[in-house]
Amino acid sequence: MKIPAIALNTFREAVRNKVFYLLLFFGVFFAFSSRFVSMLSVGDQQKVLMDVGLGSIHFFSVLVAIFTGINLVYKEIEKKTIYNILSKPITRLEFVLGKFAGLALTLLVALASMALLFFLFLFVTTGSFAPRCLIFFGLLYIELLIITSLSLVFSSFSTPILSSIFTVTLYLVGQVLWTFQEFKTRLHEPFSRYVATALYYLLPNLDKFNVKNEVVMDMPLPGGRLLAAAAYGIVYVAALLTLAVVIFRRRELK
Amino acid sequence: MMAALEIRGLEKSYPSTFGTRRIPVLRGIDLTVAPGEIYGFLGPNGAGKTTTIKCILGLLRPDRGSIRLLGRDADSLESRRNLGFLPENPYFYEYLTIRELLHFTGRLFCMSGADRKRRVEEVLRQAGLWGREETKLGKCSKGMIQRAGLAQALVQDPEVLILDEPFSGLDPVGRKELRDLVLSLKSSGRTIFFSSHILQDMELMVDRVAIIINGRLVREGRLDELVSRSVRHYELVVDGVDEKDAARTGLAGERRDNHTIIRVESLEEVNQKIRAVHVLSGRIAAMIPVKLTLEDIFMREIGK
Amino acid sequence: MQAKALALFVALTLTAGALQFHYDTRVEYFADRQAFVALPDGKTLKVLSFGYRNLVADFLFIWAIQFYSATHLTNRFDYIENIFNVITDLNPRFKAPYLVGSWIMGLEGGRYRMAIRLLEKGARNNPEEWIFEYDAGFYAYRDLKDLELAEKLFRQAAERPNAPPLIRRKWAHMVYMQDNLDYAFQLWKEIERSADDQLSRDSAFHHLYQIDFERDKQILKLAISEFRHRFGRNPAELDELRVRGILKEIPRDYQGRDYRYDPQSGTIQARRNYKWKSSY
Repeated sequence: MKIPAIALNTFREAVRNKVFYLLLFFGVFFAFSSRFVSMLSVGDQQKVLMDVGLGSIHFFSVLVAIFTGINLVYKEIEKKTIYNILSKPITRLEFVLGKFAGLALTLLVALASMALLFFLFLFVTTGSFAPRCLIFFGLLYIELLIITSLSLVFSSFSTPILSSIFTVTLYLVGQVLWTFQEFKTRLHEPFSRYVATALYYLLPNLDKFNVKNEVVMDMPLPGGRLLAAAAYGIVYVAALLTLAVVIFRRRELK
Repeated sequence: MMAALEIRGLEKSYPSTFGTRRIPVLRGIDLTVAPGEIYGFLGPNGAGKTTTIKCILGLLRPDRGSIRLLGRDADSLESRRNLGFLPENPYFYEYLTIRELLHFTGRLFCMSGADRKRRVEEVLRQAGLWGREETKLGKCSKGMIQRAGLAQALVQDPEVLILDEPFSGLDPVGRKELRDLVLSLKSSGRTIFFSSHILQDMELMVDRVAIIINGRLVREGRLDELVSRSVRHYELVVDGVDEKDAARTGLAGERRDNHTIIRVESLEEVNQKIRAVHVLSGRIAAMIPVKLTLEDIFMREIGK
Repeated sequence: MQAKALALFVALTLTAGALQFHYDTRVEYFADRQAFVALPDGKTLKVLSFGYRNLVADFLFIWAIQFYSATHLTNRFDYIENIFNVITDLNPRFKAPYLVGSWIMGLEGGRYRMAIRLLEKGARNNPEEWIFEYDAGFYAYRDLKDLELAEKLFRQAAERPNAPPLIRRKWAHMVYMQDNLDYAFQLWKEIERSADDQLSRDSAFHHLYQIDFERDKQILKLAISEFRHRFGRNPAELDELRVRGILKEIPRDYQGRDYRYDPQSGTIQARRNYKWKSSY
């Protein structure tokens, strides 16, 4: 009852803050850029269209995840609305979970609408339907949840600008974290190897969720791999949320 | 009888900017609020009023001391079920209408739909917001936000209300309405604890008052006791007495126009002076008992 | 409660790590990445890098070095030209990628023509620099055995400002190696004239001696075969060629000494013998 109340309120805030205008922007961007790109490219139009579409969905949804995450959490503290909530019989755990659920709902709606637009557009221009893209959207959603949880963790102790920087940085690092495996083998000093190994296992490995290429190029995607990626993402989100709660409980609201 | 709010030995400090040392904000607060009382928490800005309130609400963790609300530890969730809180300069979600805010608050108290609907209507009327409940909070005036804040504090019909600077931002009509509302809540058995740095608000309604200065309670008690104990002298305004005569007969005082204003310490002395005035065929124009106001007490304590 | 939450956090983090480990054993990252499809060309990437052209070039370069030192990949050379073209398009004055790229293409991948193309691009984009064509000339000479190409590259390198004398010698050597003896002789003469170090002078002398010998050897060979044609035998000594009117004069070596002549086989030998061509 309380967690859904906070979640729905967060969603309502996102809606009324016009977060979804970004979707409109996405639609226009997608329509224009795909027309443009398919004009320029010869041959496999569907591939180009899918590349552009999935790429921009990835980009826009990450944008939504980072900025709504930070904005909606930090604003509660900055504008002191949180005093009002926490002076009610609400635990910090309920607050964090409620916020997270609200953000997750916002992202779900955002992603679902973009995906719908994508499929519609693809169908209209090429007359085909690419159900394999759903795999990408599913994994992307887990990636978005990780980003949101990261922004929750950061805004539980930092300022919004720093939180944005931290979150964006970790997002970018997360995209290329897989190179650490290779990088590690080049380090000769044991200490730096340990550090690299520790970072590899601690930082979010977002590349696991990026199956754009495989989806577009019709490459095999074994179910075991997808399942392992999903399980990893969900456990990672749970860990981040726990951390956010731990930090947030310690936090004093002056 | 169980106290509505009981604070014992409350201490709280904040870390300094670089965290090298701690700056004490509350240096041992003790106070007890009886059920059904209006309790004024008075102090200049920065004295520690809001810090105390945040400790009561569990937003801050006290360094030392205990806080009990209706017999329960203040950091338990249960204690907050029966607590309504109006923050200082309340700031609510701008994108919500007043009605939505109240429903949201009701949900946080797990109120059922019908119950919530009924209570929201009641508090809208109580706070004088009836008919304006569809206004977005972002578009409300300061006074309306204050009212909305009060309304949300009342939604679950709490036994104890904590109001942080409730009068700030209200115009005279609003102040009067708020006073009436607080008094009517008191008459229905609610306990109200409110902080203010404005004395007039208090004098007209509080039962008991605590004065906090620099993190310490300097006075605490029933308002009438605190004030009457402080009534000490009378002013006698005398007409038609020659200045020289007056000085000779011990009627010396401050001359203002044709009047002499004489400061007298006791009732017995008043009678003596009146007789003396009659002997000199003068006339008593007025006799004013001068009480010490809360402000005097306040100023005296700050000056210490 | 806090302790429990912290314990939960640690447990979840460990689980995430374990899942990550499990995943990695299942999916080989680089193996997967054989599917490297395409890098947009340099012009497109210039647009896409939104003003961070040099940075993108640096990143790509660093990445490429890592990628191409992952020796267990079999198809890693499929895209190398594209990649280094993009890097050098983004930052044409960034010199290291031309050199490193050509090393990887040539020395690691055995793709010397590709390496030379990259180096020529470097030379075009950096006209004051001689190193690209010098390196390219080396690949052409040593690895492709394409003397003509090597000559052209060394000549272009030698014509760059500040080109060290060594390059001129390489160029002249290429000309010599192609048996273009008169031209080579001229070049070495110039080198000898302009030389201001012993090494250049020595090198010029060795070459001039050898070229001179080779030219003389050709003349003498012709004369001897003419002699054999007329008299049915080898001349008993070289001077017989003059006496019989086949040659006006018997050539001598660069230092003015007589060549050694073996009448049995009719072959000529110089006092000094440089085996550049036979060892190439």
